[in-house]
Amino acid sequence: MKADRKETLRYLGYHGQEMEEQTMQMIEEVAAELEHSSMPKSIYREYGCEVTKETVTLGGLEIKSRNLAVNLKGCERAVLLAATIGRGADFMVKKYSVSNMAKAAVVQAAGAACIESYVDEIEEMIRVDAKKRGLYLRPRFSPGYGDFALDYQRDIFQILECSKRIGVTLTEGNLMMPSKSVTAVIGLTTKERESCQMEKCSLCVKTDCEFRTHSSKKKGE
Amino acid sequence: MSFRDELGKKLLFFDGAMGTMLQERGLESGELPEIWNVTKEEQILEIHSQYLAAGCDIIKANTFGINPFKMKGTGYTCEELTKKGIEIVRRAIEESGRKAYAALDIGSLGKLLEPLGELSFDDAYEAFKPMCIAGAQSGADLCLIETMNDTYEIKAAVLSAKENTSLPIVVTMVFDEDGKLLTGADMEAAVAMLEGLKVDALGLNCGFGPDVMRKFLPRLREVTSLPIVLNPNAGLPVVVDGKTSFHVGPEEFSSIMKEIALEGVSVMGGCCGTTPAHIRALVETCREIPAMKLTDKQRSVVSSYTHAVALDERPKIIGERINPTGKSRFKQALREHDLEYIYKEALAQQDKGAHILDVNVGLPEIDEVQMMRDVVTGLQGITDLPLQIDTSDPVAMETAMRLYNGKPLLNSVNGKQESMDAVFPLAAKYGGMIVCLTLDENGIPKTAKGRIEIAERIIAEAAKYGIGKKDLLIDTLTMTISTGQENAKITLDALYHVRHVLGVHTTLGVSNISFGLPKREHVNTAFFTIALSKGLSAGIINPNSEAMMAAYHSYCALNGSDSQCADYVAIYAGQEGQAKPQTAQTGEISLYDAVVRGLAESAYQAARKELQTKEPLAVIDGELIPALDKVGQGFEKKTVFLPQLLMSADAAKAGFDAIKEHLLAKGDTSASKGTIVIATVKGDIHDIGKNIVKVLLENYGFQVIDLGKDVPPELVVETAKEHQVKLVGLSALMTTTVANMEETIKLLKQEFPACKVMVGGAVLTQTYADMIGADFYSKDAMGSVRYANELFGG
Repeated sequence: MKADRKETLRYLGYHGQEMEEQTMQMIEEVAAELEHSSMPKSIYREYGCEVTKETVTLGGLEIKSRNLAVNLKGCERAVLLAATIGRGADFMVKKYSVSNMAKAAVVQAAGAACIESYVDEIEEMIRVDAKKRGLYLRPRFSPGYGDFALDYQRDIFQILECSKRIGVTLTEGNLMMPSKSVTAVIGLTTKERESCQMEKCSLCVKTDCEFRTHSSKKKGE
Repeated sequence: MSFRDELGKKLLFFDGAMGTMLQERGLESGELPEIWNVTKEEQILEIHSQYLAAGCDIIKANTFGINPFKMKGTGYTCEELTKKGIEIVRRAIEESGRKAYAALDIGSLGKLLEPLGELSFDDAYEAFKPMCIAGAQSGADLCLIETMNDTYEIKAAVLSAKENTSLPIVVTMVFDEDGKLLTGADMEAAVAMLEGLKVDALGLNCGFGPDVMRKFLPRLREVTSLPIVLNPNAGLPVVVDGKTSFHVGPEEFSSIMKEIALEGVSVMGGCCGTTPAHIRALVETCREIPAMKLTDKQRSVVSSYTHAVALDERPKIIGERINPTGKSRFKQALREHDLEYIYKEALAQQDKGAHILDVNVGLPEIDEVQMMRDVVTGLQGITDLPLQIDTSDPVAMETAMRLYNGKPLLNSVNGKQESMDAVFPLAAKYGGMIVCLTLDENGIPKTAKGRIEIAERIIAEAAKYGIGKKDLLIDTLTMTISTGQENAKITLDALYHVRHVLGVHTTLGVSNISFGLPKREHVNTAFFTIALSKGLSAGIINPNSEAMMAAYHSYCALNGSDSQCADYVAIYAGQEGQAKPQTAQTGEISLYDAVVRGLAESAYQAARKELQTKEPLAVIDGELIPALDKVGQGFEKKTVFLPQLLMSADAAKAGFDAIKEHLLAKGDTSASKGTIVIATVKGDIHDIGKNIVKVLLENYGFQVIDLGKDVPPELVVETAKEHQVKLVGLSALMTTTVANMEETIKLLKQEFPACKVMVGGAVLTQTYADMIGADFYSKDAMGSVRYANELFGG
């Protein structure tokens, strides 16, 4: 797991501005401190799944979501996944919010980059394992994306025993703590050509987002 | 014989898994197993009976998952399921005709506690309470708190069990491959806290099989004096088709457990994947092995939520800066409830190498209990150093001890009977090392002998509470040599005796020695070095003093406790020839440039320099604000990016701090442009954006009342009305919480229509903001400053 520096800069809203040496050095230091204080943990389980036009059923859980159903169309199996980089990032944000706001913002960005890269690593393991069985991965899809309601976090947490196994808990409003955590559903398909990795940003409706990756922005934006 | 009588005297055996057995009997994934206590009582009974037949001594009731949060909406109460759970165990024991103990089994609440999570310590305590009470009333013989991974939650559970029952308490935790809890706490930290809380036994469960767990035991045996409990899984979980199974069979399981038993353990059993067959093999293999011999490890430790600090041959630094005595700026911070100022003092001392932080927040005109509560809670969110709770108010002390996530240091008790009667019961209950001042009803003895006698009396009195010498830290009291030159010798002679003859650790408030003298640091440094060589275990000093820290590091290199002078070299290598580059540089850089370039220390120095010749207002309007404007405009034009904006904001803040100090020295308090209330709305826990806005608004001279995150609409409205503010800023990051933002705006418009609302946050757009009735949508932090300036006509 690493806080990809380019991604970290992107989350910080970097558009190639002139940067003093000390700023880059600060970002480097903070990212390194974060990597050191993170305790990445994950859990995932594979289930058979049934997909209709509007629902996905896996691991005894029926999810009503058109977007997820589209994402998993044709899949007979799917993985439920939860991952976190631990509480280090949250503590660092708290600490630096007091002593150095710039560093707090960098932790926030580097933390987002860390959890993404960590989930990518796990996904890679799942990919390698699936390929042996002739299965290919669909892009991962998380509660909160599109019409996949955040309320399903409750069920996913119970099924995967997230609190006990990886120390991630849910707030009343179904947000995850530690905050740098991810849950996702990954469809497994036998058809390789349907597994293409979509740009995650292209799924999102917030087209004026500061952090939208360029490749998914419309031309001229 | 009760459980307490047998524990540690002979090897006892727990049963194995419940969940694994229930899954075999058709428990669905996601179904709550504890409901079976009512719906499928016979199934539960049969599992207990099988374990009893296998020969175990302790049965865990099927109560692990019961808590008010999980039971919500199930139609069952914690009380009835707990009661039923214990009753089934009792029935199974009775039917078996064997002698065995029923354990009330308590697991994690599945919620993260403050400061990171939303569950307060007090609420966690309350949540554990119904199970504790019902369990004890239904005839449990002990309380097992298991599969825990957060010391703070453990503390809440232990206190709940201790205060509401008289059951023996056993705590088992899940450590990861690095020997840490999920909170990052190491074994020493967890043990220090649990021994302080006087649990009956502690140990490990779940997570791993016996082979991996075995590797943690040598360290655990070294640091704990308590009986050790071990309930491993039947190996690591293997997942096939969404179902979890465990592959270490009874033979293998019991043969590794036998080796562990021979190396020393007090209670063993099984967790996930273990079956009656595992337990039968375990009991048959290990029955004749004696329990581990218990010895007092005589460790003097305090701990934080991550690590323990041991008082040993290597002296420790206790940072003294969080204390208002003689500091007008600190007093002002306390009066204004400016906790950030206090937190900064904490972080600065940690950076300079303090091991423990003293916390004294007493002022006659403030509510010390509440302040202690706020500061201790807050500090635990930003620093992982153990705290020394410094107060003469027993209520404030107990409040802090209760909320403290670890084993604290207490400052202090003295030889007065009244003081000992107040402090020792608290230490006996919550745990802690105690600073003992060698003074009594007759004042401070003028001889070393007199102080030693008081030390002896304190030691004897502590023993009555079961507090051993290892938990005392005797302060032989530093008196200034400006009023009596023999003072140093008296203190040091007494100190030497206490450490080397009485065998108790020592501490001193070092800098008192030079009170009334010029160039105090010279005397302090010399005295500190002598005290260290006489046996000072922990010096209460100012870690920001370079000379004192140099004396400390040099001493550790000289006495051999800094092995191969590694720390000394790490700190001082490469410093040679560097003639304080920063100060040299700051002389040349203007305040304006320092802010634009984001150099906080330079900005502070430059501001101080400017204030020698200019009025504060001229410094603000002439330099600070133009610099901020320049950076702010750059940010809006995207030529400056966020970290640079924030570095400049921090630098400006340092400049404003210099102005604040300047004004304070003249007895002035700074006037603000206006007051703004900001909050992250209810249900939302993302507050970095809001915090950025706060820093910038403060830079531009606004007073900001920050209500924090997850703030209910009522509180926002109440605060806005109370302070009659013109502007409220709300932040929300999630689509789901924008609804709460709307609700807050609605309530505010209804109750206090004169107040304007600005909103911001990742998912918001202008359209969205209009829709929910906001007066202004700010797409970034600078936008909020612009709007506030317009509104307040600044």
